Amino acid sequence: MADLKDSIHATTEKLTSDLKKMTMYKTFYEDLQKLVSKSAVKNTNFKNTLLEAMKMNGMENELRNTIFQWVRSHKNPAATREPLIYLRKSQATWQKRIHKSLNSMASEIKIHLAQSRVLSDKEEMNDKWNELSIYDVDLSQYRPVYAPKDFLEVLLAIRSPNYKCPNVMKLQWDFIQLPLMVKTFKELRNFYSEISRGDLLLGNNPNMKSENPNYPTLLAERTALGEKVLETNHAPVTQEYLKKGCPRSLRATMWVQVLGVEVKENEKLYFQYLKNVVLQHDLMVDKLIIKDVQLTASNDHQYFVFEDVLYQVMLCFSRDAEVLCIFSHSSAQPVHGVLRGKPPTIENTVIYPPNGIIPFHGFTMYATPFCYLYDDPVQLYYVFRAFYTRYWFRLHEVSSHPQGILSLCILFERLLHRLDNELWCHIKTSGVQPIRLTFKWIMRAFSGHLSPEQVLYLWDLILAYDSLEILPIMAVTIVGLRKVSLIRVKDLAGFEAVLADLSSITVMPLLQMVLVSKHLDSLIRLPKDTTKTGSLIEPKTKKDGKK
Amino acid sequence: MERAKSALSNDLLYGRINTNTPLKLKVTFCTDLDKSVLTSNFEKRGWSQVGPEDDWNFYWSGIQTCRNLFSLDSGYRMHDHQLINHFPNHYELTRKDLLVKNIKRYRKELERDGNPLGTKSMGKYIYLDFIPITFVLPADYNMFVEEYRKTPSSTWIMKPCGKSQGAGIFLINKLSKLKRWSREAKAPFNPTVVKETYVISKYIDNPLLIGGKKFDMRLYVLVTSFRPLKAYLFKQGFCRFCTVKYDTSMQELDNIFVHLTNVSVQRHGGDYNSLHGGKLSVDNLRLYLESTRGKNVTDKLFKNIIWLIVHSLKAVSNIMANDKHCFECYGYDIIIDNTLKPWLIEVNASPSLTSTTVNDRILKSRLIDSILHVVIPPTGIPDAKWNKTPLPSALGNFEVLIDEEAITHNENSKLRKNNKSSNNNNLSLAVRRRR
Repeated sequence: MADLKDSIHATTEKLTSDLKKMTMYKTFYEDLQKLVSKSAVKNTNFKNTLLEAMKMNGMENELRNTIFQWVRSHKNPAATREPLIYLRKSQATWQKRIHKSLNSMASEIKIHLAQSRVLSDKEEMNDKWNELSIYDVDLSQYRPVYAPKDFLEVLLAIRSPNYKCPNVMKLQWDFIQLPLMVKTFKELRNFYSEISRGDLLLGNNPNMKSENPNYPTLLAERTALGEKVLETNHAPVTQEYLKKGCPRSLRATMWVQVLGVEVKENEKLYFQYLKNVVLQHDLMVDKLIIKDVQLTASNDHQYFVFEDVLYQVMLCFSRDAEVLCIFSHSSAQPVHGVLRGKPPTIENTVIYPPNGIIPFHGFTMYATPFCYLYDDPVQLYYVFRAFYTRYWFRLHEVSSHPQGILSLCILFERLLHRLDNELWCHIKTSGVQPIRLTFKWIMRAFSGHLSPEQVLYLWDLILAYDSLEILPIMAVTIVGLRKVSLIRVKDLAGFEAVLADLSSITVMPLLQMVLVSKHLDSLIRLPKDTTKTGSLIEPKTKKDGKK
Repeated sequence: MERAKSALSNDLLYGRINTNTPLKLKVTFCTDLDKSVLTSNFEKRGWSQVGPEDDWNFYWSGIQTCRNLFSLDSGYRMHDHQLINHFPNHYELTRKDLLVKNIKRYRKELERDGNPLGTKSMGKYIYLDFIPITFVLPADYNMFVEEYRKTPSSTWIMKPCGKSQGAGIFLINKLSKLKRWSREAKAPFNPTVVKETYVISKYIDNPLLIGGKKFDMRLYVLVTSFRPLKAYLFKQGFCRFCTVKYDTSMQELDNIFVHLTNVSVQRHGGDYNSLHGGKLSVDNLRLYLESTRGKNVTDKLFKNIIWLIVHSLKAVSNIMANDKHCFECYGYDIIIDNTLKPWLIEVNASPSLTSTTVNDRILKSRLIDSILHVVIPPTGIPDAKWNKTPLPSALGNFEVLIDEEAITHNENSKLRKNNKSSNNNNLSLAVRRRR
């Protein structure tokens, strides 16, 4: 009992000292002082009237939400560095490779990694800040530092030193060399209980009837409830709400609330500051970022419209040193460089790029779906950054974290093995590791693969359950759905062709189908007429069959 | 094919087919356009291609061919098992000057009849204000000048009536520029400088921008009959984006890439992307608008778009030659302004079937497939005598915009039921009563 008391006491102390360091603290304190001087707060009953007044003007909620965000970001255990030595080593080697390739590209093109931006360039960039698509730089010699494919090779090569491969086993389970704990299917069903117990979810049929006779449709019911939830402005409630799907019109505000990233004066100033830093220095990473936006979003018929916003957001992101906070609980380490012409002392050492992240091919896709939610680049930026620092960084590093890409890959393989052994065997005996078919989906959190609206539904669930485990479940679901066509082909190219077009996939009904029925087979046994109504399953399977 | 045979022999049995018509076991098609999206859809149905001189059942023709066929001189008479993809005087809807004239007349008639739809407020029609203020030049020059003087700072757009794909279009913001043009046009002695008819419209200078870029919407509308009006909207429309940021400053007035969204214009811009062709699906537009602006305003916008299409069709339904062999697919060009109000810019009779991207090809192939599903009766054989009421399952990617026959039918059965119904406040009813 005494221990518990101590730990609560210690947490409270830590919390209060952290609160004081936060940017919101100053304005919050000032607002509180103003509140005290108001007539609502009585001298006679000071504490109670003050608390009541705080409740009335929303300051209580603000405080509660701040503490919620603090707790969320401190959920990671104290020993946050990667505990497994062989994974730490693997990550270090991988990073070295990235840096080497970055350096060799720089010397090949004969440019510096960083330099002050020349005045003319600075002016041009400033003029064209809102339409960087016409900012003219020659990028023909630049190429992405690495692609998901390269990273997968690294992951597949990892072996636990404790694992001895018995040579006799031809059908080797590729991730068995990595004894990481992942949830079983049963645990997942419990974890996603709202979905698996068959609750009505938004994102199925748009005209689905509500169970409540007061509303014509489920959408109307969810919208009415959602509006109430937003009004309370209480992050944990909002997070809970997202579990059953969010109406389009409320999503933007919901996400801001859950992540606690409201844009106020400070945030605007900071974004402006980041822009100025971009204009100050000319980094090689800038070119890589522009190239990546061009290769991905600009060529995508669903995102090309937002190209200009994405340049701004991604460039500012590269300068944001606040992103460095992820390295306290990540297995990765940012690159350190010594300023040119200076002695290698600590003062002359800088992190490159300032946010410590070297983008890979498709990195922009972590931000693109937000373009459908936010008109304002500043708000878009903060939501994207919150998503990145909470989730996405785990998708491109080697670690044993249960949310890390390795665990997600293992989860995918185990799920496929468990849910559809026949399909798993078929892919394996065709000489293909199943994860190869779905790795890029998982690494990009399906952005650019599913249609924008479906990506948003999927990300609703990531936020709602605060977990990336939904990604491998989605991947295994899609593979199961295309089983009939997959069984007919016997090589990687064939499999990839069957899985190339995901534009007709609808996230919520399929996920629910799998989590409710416990079988992937249920997907292909759907009654035929559901393909006609188009709500449950896409007609693609039929088409695939003909190939 | 078995079904087709029996259907034909049935017709013979009842003597419906003219004996001059040879007995055919196979449906034949003819096309002026050699586009794979067309031929592949015809061949998928087992139809065989014939020349225009041969006996065809289904003709996908150019506008001119259709006009020639229907002209008195040609002496061509279609039999019951022939369909063609244009109405002979479609230009009432698709020529820029005639469209404006017909809509103006339609509004005046409604106003004169005291129909609530024709209600005006502050000089504007409340319910039918969906085309930008437009005049035909040189005929309406004086009226234009009067209007121009009300807001001398606004920009106007000049378009030649007979041309399409952005040809001959220019913007003006000074009357002097137009005066010169008009003086030259009116010179009666020199026929070479007599310019063709133009329409001049108030330029929508507050367009809705997405990602800072201007766009217009292209929607496909299929009409199978004008009296009673039967029209369908293709669900997969798209938005066409300018490649250049929108900018109304003077120096950009001549940069046509800023202002015109036609793909045929944009393709000549330096930044044209052949992977997406500057096209965003209407579904994604809706997702964006609902997410950033809210559901109610978005629903209202799409409702207004349907309203606009239906009334533009009603405006011409009385003067269209409602030939039973005809159907037509129109390309509607609509601009949305930043208050989310849709404006009808123009209607095209032969929307381009050229595919610029892979998605485009899929979309256009689906469009043709859906058109065929709606216009061909369940027997699979073109039949002008068919009541043109497709089964709900045959609608494919179309949704019913309006079916006056079904409305009258429902109304009659309702009337029979309770024999007393007067609901003069109901606007939609008021429309139906007009006839």
